[in-house]
Amino acid sequence: MASQNQDPAAAATLKASETGGSAARGSVTKRLQQELMTLMMSGDKGISAFPESDNLFKWVGTIDGAQGTVYEGLRYRLSLEFPAGYPYQAPRVKFLTSCFHPNVDPQGFICLDILKDKWSALYDVRCILLSLQSLLGEPNNESPLNTTAAELWENQEAFKAHLHSTFQG
Amino acid sequence: MEDIGMEEDSAEISGSAQKQGVADAWETVTAALMSPGGLGPEQGLWDSLALLSGEGLGRLLGGWLLETLQMRLSSAVVPEFWAELKQPENELEERGRAWVLLTAFQTLLGRLEPFLGGLERLESWQDEGRGSVCGPGPGGLQERAFTIIRALLLFSPSPVLQERVLEFYSRTFSVYMHQEGQAEDGAEAPEGPEGGVCPGCGVPTQQCWCKEALAQLKELSHILSKLQLLEWVSCEAVTSILHKLIEQRMEQHCRGEYERSFLLEFQTWLELVLGWLSKVFASEAEKDGLVPAPGAPGAPGAPSVPSTPSLQAGQPGSSVLKQWRCHMHQFFCRIYVNMRIEELFSIIRDFPESKAAIEDLKFCLERTNQRQQLLTSLKSAFESRLLHPGVHTSDILTVYISAIKALRELDPSMVILQVACQPIRKYLRTREDTVRQIVAGLTGDAEGCTDLASELSRGDPVTLEMQDSDEEGADPEDWTPDPTDAVPDKMGSKRRSSDIISLLVSIYGSKDIFIDEYRAVLADRLLHQLNYNTAREIRNVELLKLRFGESHMHYCEVMLKDMADSRRINSNIREEESRLSEEEQPPLSLSSIILSSEFWPPLKEEKLELPPVVCQAMEAYTHRYEKLKAMRTLSWKPHLGSVTLDLELEDRTLTNLTVSPIHAAIILHFQDKSSWTLEELSVKLGAPKELLHRKLALWQQHGVLREEAGGRYYVVETGSSKEKMDRGVMLIDSDEERDSNTTTQSEQREEKLQLFWAYIQAMLTNLDSMTLDRIHSMLRMFVATGPVVTEMDINELEGFLQRKVREHQLLVSAGVYRLPKAN
Repeated sequence: MASQNQDPAAAATLKASETGGSAARGSVTKRLQQELMTLMMSGDKGISAFPESDNLFKWVGTIDGAQGTVYEGLRYRLSLEFPAGYPYQAPRVKFLTSCFHPNVDPQGFICLDILKDKWSALYDVRCILLSLQSLLGEPNNESPLNTTAAELWENQEAFKAHLHSTFQG
Repeated sequence: MEDIGMEEDSAEISGSAQKQGVADAWETVTAALMSPGGLGPEQGLWDSLALLSGEGLGRLLGGWLLETLQMRLSSAVVPEFWAELKQPENELEERGRAWVLLTAFQTLLGRLEPFLGGLERLESWQDEGRGSVCGPGPGGLQERAFTIIRALLLFSPSPVLQERVLEFYSRTFSVYMHQEGQAEDGAEAPEGPEGGVCPGCGVPTQQCWCKEALAQLKELSHILSKLQLLEWVSCEAVTSILHKLIEQRMEQHCRGEYERSFLLEFQTWLELVLGWLSKVFASEAEKDGLVPAPGAPGAPGAPSVPSTPSLQAGQPGSSVLKQWRCHMHQFFCRIYVNMRIEELFSIIRDFPESKAAIEDLKFCLERTNQRQQLLTSLKSAFESRLLHPGVHTSDILTVYISAIKALRELDPSMVILQVACQPIRKYLRTREDTVRQIVAGLTGDAEGCTDLASELSRGDPVTLEMQDSDEEGADPEDWTPDPTDAVPDKMGSKRRSSDIISLLVSIYGSKDIFIDEYRAVLADRLLHQLNYNTAREIRNVELLKLRFGESHMHYCEVMLKDMADSRRINSNIREEESRLSEEEQPPLSLSSIILSSEFWPPLKEEKLELPPVVCQAMEAYTHRYEKLKAMRTLSWKPHLGSVTLDLELEDRTLTNLTVSPIHAAIILHFQDKSSWTLEELSVKLGAPKELLHRKLALWQQHGVLREEAGGRYYVVETGSSKEKMDRGVMLIDSDEERDSNTTTQSEQREEKLQLFWAYIQAMLTNLDSMTLDRIHSMLRMFVATGPVVTEMDINELEGFLQRKVREHQLLVSAGVYRLPKAN
């Protein structure tokens, strides 16, 4: 099956780069439109995203902190930018709302494997948002971007207090 | 040497009288040579000749004659010829131009005839051995004269000559072909006789000069032949006419026409053309019988002689015509191959119908050296027309299969097939649904390619190929080496398969992918029909076993066996049940298909909790099974299956409805309670609301349930038959009677609105607040519209948003919509 998993658009993209890239862009647009549709139909609570303007390659996302975590009741805004090579290249995702979290730096950049080296064309926007939602409650303290947060995480009460006092929705 | 000595002596002795005599004799002889026709007093001439040769001047005659010819040519004849040819320029019509051409040559001949006559006479004297008139062997003088004529006349030919000749030959060609064509068939005159235009010479019939043209052709050909100019003047014109006409004819007759063979038709046509050629080269051909034509006009190397038997016998066996024939055939083949190469993709696409074209092409391709061209062109045709994202995989497969069949015919060595189809195979590997399509084709499920199913039932490749190799071994004489363009690989020609299925399967290099996929397809089919009827599947599996081997199909065998076992177990349990007493009889009859989970592909999981009645029946069934098969139990897949039920409502009964378990479970719940909300049902059935909402639609359509405000569903106990009628009609045309219309239309509408609402919520969640216009334009941009989801016009949207505002699901202030804070 491995051979079937090859990038079917690789050849197409190559070709498209000669002919102006409109075809490849077309297929990416189609995919994004499809993803939007899936997301709309899924009805997942607490996650949401939508194109920012008429540009389908730039979305704004929203995540609500999951129940039972310190992030409950907080709502975070994200920006998602899709490269032309999407879905074979990961989208660029960052927090717009400042987020106090071990794996998020003050600029909003996120350390999450599926957005980096573990990215696969099988993931989609919904998947990313769900992963981020669960990342909030279950940070990876092994490789923190925000050491203060990572150290504070052990003490959930203090973390929560700090989080809520500094939160700027 | 003696002669010379004597001359010197006599000159000194006899003085001027003698000289006078020699001069007179020279006069006489040269005059006689140049005089047209009848000679004067024979004896005087012979005496003069003798005198001249006595003086040793005989040998100078030839040189003098050539010299004179050359002088005359360059000073008068050639300029006159060209002037005459050019002189009327634009004034004349075609007929006149033909006449000018002819007269120019006539004059030329007239001017040159005395010299030619003289040369001939001189030669005959030589032959007779008169005097010591010696020259460069027999025919040598004439040969030189003709060379001089050619050289001077055609040293700088004006294009006018070529144009005129071309025009003239074209005309006579069409005249000739018209006359001959009429005898053969009527098809030779595409313009037809409309407007009284002679199809031969293209002028109104009363002015027809067909006959004249042919006569002129004969004369011109005669003159040219006499001057030995035929080859030089006509060849180019004739060649270009032939090429043009063959090309033209091919365009008209063969392009896009693949279902007929054109070889014979062209053969006869070419013979007809040869008839015209024989007229053009008539004199040459006649002469041929006697003297072998020096440097006969024609074919620059025609390597292979096309098989053209017969028809030649009646004509003079002239080498000129033979060469022209070769040339024409060669040319025909080349043009034909060129055209077919261009069209090869379409030919392949239409393959079984275009077999004739393939055979023609094969014949011609063997005679021209164009395999490489064919390969290159075919490959690029595949790439540009087939291998891009817009083409459905099944179409690619269909074309590939046709290509296999067609190229198998074209090139039995399979090299073209192997090389040209490489890009297709490579591309198919990148398509995700290739395997599925091929398997669907094999099992006869695909709409497009039925070929595969019949190919599968045709036989197995193992035995087919074994036979082939046996034959090969039996007759080593028949062995042929691979063509030079074969891809060198370790397989060798012997293993280059032409079996369609083997080729398709080998795209991935492994059978397992296909077998897995087939297993999935088989599982689907078995679980869909639910009737233990496996005759067709058994046949398919047996056929596949022949191809892939027993061991690979083992899983599929088990699956089929499961079906048979299930049937047996089922009837067993049924029998047992029937022996029970009346009250112990199960409330509903249950049949099951028992799958050996190890051998089936993983099945889709879906949560569904069936109503207690059904669960009890299942449990009872399980018990009986456990009794029957010790140490085993059943694990039910409640969502797979089908239910046949009757519905009894107050005023009507719906019988024999076959629905899915979830449909049945839904309606079964309405048996206990006549109204449910979506949430309640969702909890009861353990299925998501969206799914239920979709499934409920079926019962709404049957008019059994109806949805009311607040997402409540009610049983429609009394539905008047009239209303049902309306509903039936309304499904088709929906604009009449808004009221009765509601079920389907509102459902569609509801679905659409729900979708739009999801989008609107999402955009407001993420973009905070938006105006009506912006919402509208966003929806237009991002909602993929389909048959159900049509665009919403702005007024409709505004109405919808206002409704949501009334329902407190939306806030609006100053024309800007936003979601309420808490959601």
